[in-house]
Amino acid sequence: MQYYEYFDYRRHPLQRPPLEGGVEGKRHAVAICGAGPIGLALALGLARHGIAAVVIEADDTVTYGSRASCISRRSQEILDQLGCVDTILQKALPWTAGTSYYRDTPVYRLQMPMDENQKFYPMVNLEQCYFDQFVLDAIEKKYADLVDIRWQTKLTGFSRDAHGARLQLDTAEGPYQLDCDWLIACDGARSAVRSQMGLRFSGSRYEGTYIIVDVHLKSSYPTERRAWFNPPSNPASTILMHRQPDDIWRVDYQLRDGEDPIEAQKPENVLPRVRAHLEWIGERDDWEPVLISAYKANCLTLDQYNHGRVLFAGDAAHLVPIFGVRGMNSGIDDTHNLAWKLAYVIQGHAQASLLDTYSDERVHAARENIRHASKSTEFMAPPSHAFYLMREAALSLSTRDPFFSTLSNPRQTSAISYEQSRLTQACEAASGFGPPPGAVLPECPIERDGLPAHLTELPGTRFTLIALSDSAPDIAAHPLLAVHWVSPTRNARASAWDVTGRLFPMYGASAQAPAYYLVRPDGHVLARFAAVDSARIHAALQAALQ
Amino acid sequence: MLTPEQLDEVYTRACHTMTELGETLGEKQTELFLARLALLLMKEVGDPARIQHAITTAREGMQQQP
Repeated sequence: MQYYEYFDYRRHPLQRPPLEGGVEGKRHAVAICGAGPIGLALALGLARHGIAAVVIEADDTVTYGSRASCISRRSQEILDQLGCVDTILQKALPWTAGTSYYRDTPVYRLQMPMDENQKFYPMVNLEQCYFDQFVLDAIEKKYADLVDIRWQTKLTGFSRDAHGARLQLDTAEGPYQLDCDWLIACDGARSAVRSQMGLRFSGSRYEGTYIIVDVHLKSSYPTERRAWFNPPSNPASTILMHRQPDDIWRVDYQLRDGEDPIEAQKPENVLPRVRAHLEWIGERDDWEPVLISAYKANCLTLDQYNHGRVLFAGDAAHLVPIFGVRGMNSGIDDTHNLAWKLAYVIQGHAQASLLDTYSDERVHAARENIRHASKSTEFMAPPSHAFYLMREAALSLSTRDPFFSTLSNPRQTSAISYEQSRLTQACEAASGFGPPPGAVLPECPIERDGLPAHLTELPGTRFTLIALSDSAPDIAAHPLLAVHWVSPTRNARASAWDVTGRLFPMYGASAQAPAYYLVRPDGHVLARFAAVDSARIHAALQAALQ
Repeated sequence: MLTPEQLDEVYTRACHTMTELGETLGEKQTELFLARLALLLMKEVGDPARIQHAITTAREGMQQQP
């Protein structure tokens, strides 16, 4: 239920294409179902590779309501590559820390990884409507010619064959059909594409219901994650609080066993609890509710995300509990994994089997995310009396012994490595330092063209060879390869140099022992070499793309 | 001393074991499980002073539940 509007939703008109016998004349390479954060990020990612997409969206504007609110460092790196992180960071609120309380006593201090090497904060908070709008703005600004969003157009069904799909669409001005080579389902938890194909999630659903209340409150409290277990304001309850831009605070709490979720969402049941809590933590200013909604934790994934010419991403493919913020963030990671692979397949650079690795890698990621999020959920919302009893023991002992505090760690999301992927190749490492093949690049400042920059900015739409060496690598040109020579000292011929002196040791390289990282377009290390020549690098690319 | 990961692992195993016990034999039996676990850990610790200290610490701060 919405009480207060802080976001100016832009309404988009229905646009119907010219039809021939009820079918759009033009065949599309890619149709994306859903203009939520995942559909939009995928459209932007594909456009960056020069691939056009039509996006089908039933609504006339970006996602409405209380949705994702935390954007991880990994997502920020991806958004940086997509060219839209700056607008997001202008609005979002960065944070690094949090506190968990048992009753009125702090028992755990969350400190997310942050050091002088980082370009981005470990987390920023932003309401999802802003996120979606900023990605949409980037699309409209840079790729209006490549991304065709069909607002107010609902997918009612589709047929598919070995070459693509024919979509049945409905609009206020009547139905039409559209042909595409690839259909990507980014249509969320209740995916119409998934249900029409009769695909079922596997995994588990948690019993508990949470109430999510966004309130408008002017408070000077910093942006942090705060969690209260059994606070005096709401005994036997768990409350979470996060600051978002525009003086919006997200409060969520779990319903007690036996409470009716519909009744519990009524303002007369919600507002007294919120009021008691805000008063107890010392918020004296007036506040008003913005939105009340309910939520249940699910640990569910499809077993496979590619089904012929239909692929799944985001909540359409997997659902993870909110604790640890792996929902939208894992969907953004899906799109970054999928965009280059689908683009390469469409452009004829790779065989369609490359898309198997999208499914393998991202199903693996979903299972890892579910594993971590389940742990967080079991602590935040004990699924049995036994879990509750053990949590009470852990929390009450934590007030006097920090040894037990780590059990309250909310396990915030972190980038997932693809070490077991078929794509992941050789690791020639002289030392134990540096990311192994499959991992993302640890961040480090560099100087590039005389300007401050960061290592994660080097990967582009091609594979990237990052040569950490005191001499230029001699690699023959390849259409899918960019070579960046990063020298240990300032060198006018190099792309960049290790301006802090921290990069080479971090990556296990030295002037005497170079290290060469072949990096995928999504920023994951494909292979690592101690020595390179054209034949080795070209062979590694060929192995990845066949 | 257990690492945080090791603590988490044994903590979670205890939670799951007690949950399974509660579901099959009834929640009352989880109390007996905890008492048995306490006795077994006393044997493992093998040091009366440390066990006495743990009993004192476990009792401290416990109060009437609201």
